[in-house]
Amino acid sequence: MKKLINAPADYVNEILDGLTSAHPGLVLGGESGRCISRREPALQGRVGIATGGGSGHLPLFTGYVGPGFADACAIGNVFEGPNAQSCLDAIRAAYHGTGVLCLYGNYGGDRMNFDLAIEMAGMDDIACETVLGTDDVASAGADEAAKRRGVAGIVLLYKAAGAAAAEGRDLAAVAALAQKANGATRSIGVALAPCRVPTASAPNFDIGEDEMEFGMGIHGEPGIWRAPIAPADKVADEMVDRLFADLKPGRGDRVMPLVNGLGATPLEELFILWRRVERRLKDAGISHAAPLVGNFVTSMEMAGASLSLMVLDGELEALISAPASCPFWRVG
Amino acid sequence: MMAITASDVAAFVACLSAGAAREEQTLNAADARLGDGDTGSMLRRVFAAMATANAAGAATVSEAGKRLAAAAMKETGSSLGTLVATGAMTFAREAREIEGAGRDPEPADLPRIVAAMRDAISMRGKAETGDKTILDSLYAIAAALGGGEVSREVAAQAAQQALAAFRDRPCRIGRARMFPERSIGADDPGMLAAALLLA
Repeated sequence: MKKLINAPADYVNEILDGLTSAHPGLVLGGESGRCISRREPALQGRVGIATGGGSGHLPLFTGYVGPGFADACAIGNVFEGPNAQSCLDAIRAAYHGTGVLCLYGNYGGDRMNFDLAIEMAGMDDIACETVLGTDDVASAGADEAAKRRGVAGIVLLYKAAGAAAAEGRDLAAVAALAQKANGATRSIGVALAPCRVPTASAPNFDIGEDEMEFGMGIHGEPGIWRAPIAPADKVADEMVDRLFADLKPGRGDRVMPLVNGLGATPLEELFILWRRVERRLKDAGISHAAPLVGNFVTSMEMAGASLSLMVLDGELEALISAPASCPFWRVG
Repeated sequence: MMAITASDVAAFVACLSAGAAREEQTLNAADARLGDGDTGSMLRRVFAAMATANAAGAATVSEAGKRLAAAAMKETGSSLGTLVATGAMTFAREAREIEGAGRDPEPADLPRIVAAMRDAISMRGKAETGDKTILDSLYAIAAALGGGEVSREVAAQAAQQALAAFRDRPCRIGRARMFPERSIGADDPGMLAAALLLA
């Protein structure tokens, strides 16, 4: 697997260096040196949103820092959770005098470090709430939904929670909204080819030239099944069926769709998938907001795609449509 | 009874740090059997950072604990390191509670403080007693301190006995749980660290 990199050990630092230089609205700092935050912080008195996660998923996590999105992001090494200090840095950077929502994906290491950082922040009287993204239907059954990991759907959670915080809601209300948004969101992914962690000598999993794996996680965690590659419409159908089975949307419902590329899959193919998803929504009598089609949550050069659906009500739709901007998504 | 001072806390951590430096390669080797072999180096780094955090200069024992936790947090990305920081954090919180009641922490408070550290570490690491982790050392230490003299020797002896008692049992959590036959007869690196660093 060929990569345009320098020394593998410099990978993360050079990404952050380039990202902040290209997007001056973001600054890199914190005692860990691994915290991205807004150059112009939100207004004093607004609830802050801190997030974090491993590197290797751009635009996630750190690309979603900006007005109307997250306020700060703790950054880990490739596919490793952020350390506790960077989580604390993100909480402090997101603190505007009135509490911080820690909103991130449900992964063990991330939780441990955020929980420790929250305890530490509590010693300085910074109140925090935690909401975990658990949208990946492939990672646990519906009866164990709280154990599911967070994948592309978290982007929609940032948008909804960020808009709620920008409206001036208090910490409990922003956390409740984020929880509601998470409850309305599901994702499923399909991987076609693996990626390689820069410091590793081999790809993170093996998959045959003519195979795909359904439900694979964004770090290459095993999926639900592996099968010969199928036409895009069949793959889209399978994704839609899986999400419908879990979300159980009814005729007349409205959703926010996100067709996401995992890194190496071209936009062309994402639009081919979307075309079929759109057809299926129409057939089911489900309307939709303007879809997001593109690379929002990747795994470096992994090939494949994911589909996320958030079931909208009036409140969520208003928050999703509220003006906001970050390097990779602008509304209004 | 004599109150515990910030200097006492710093001296204890200096001792752990010296132990971690001395035992670095032994602990790395123990971890390499089923893990990535960095436990010793990670603990050396974390305790060295804690030992230079100027805990002795803190005005209170809780502040000393907070400085130690902050120093540990900066140095670690690994789960065992996070648990060390969690332990220091809990120590600080328990001490603050006692100070809030208008007195300084005393050795007689330590069994309860160590039990609180054990519980916080259990909750954060999602391990339970019997899993063959550092938690089992902490159970043994808290029980020994609660049952008699409060001293480092008693704690060290308890950690040593727990290590021996668990040696031939399988690990039930983390990566090592996937190789039960290989964890039998091998010391858990965290339990080994507890025994060696307190010695």
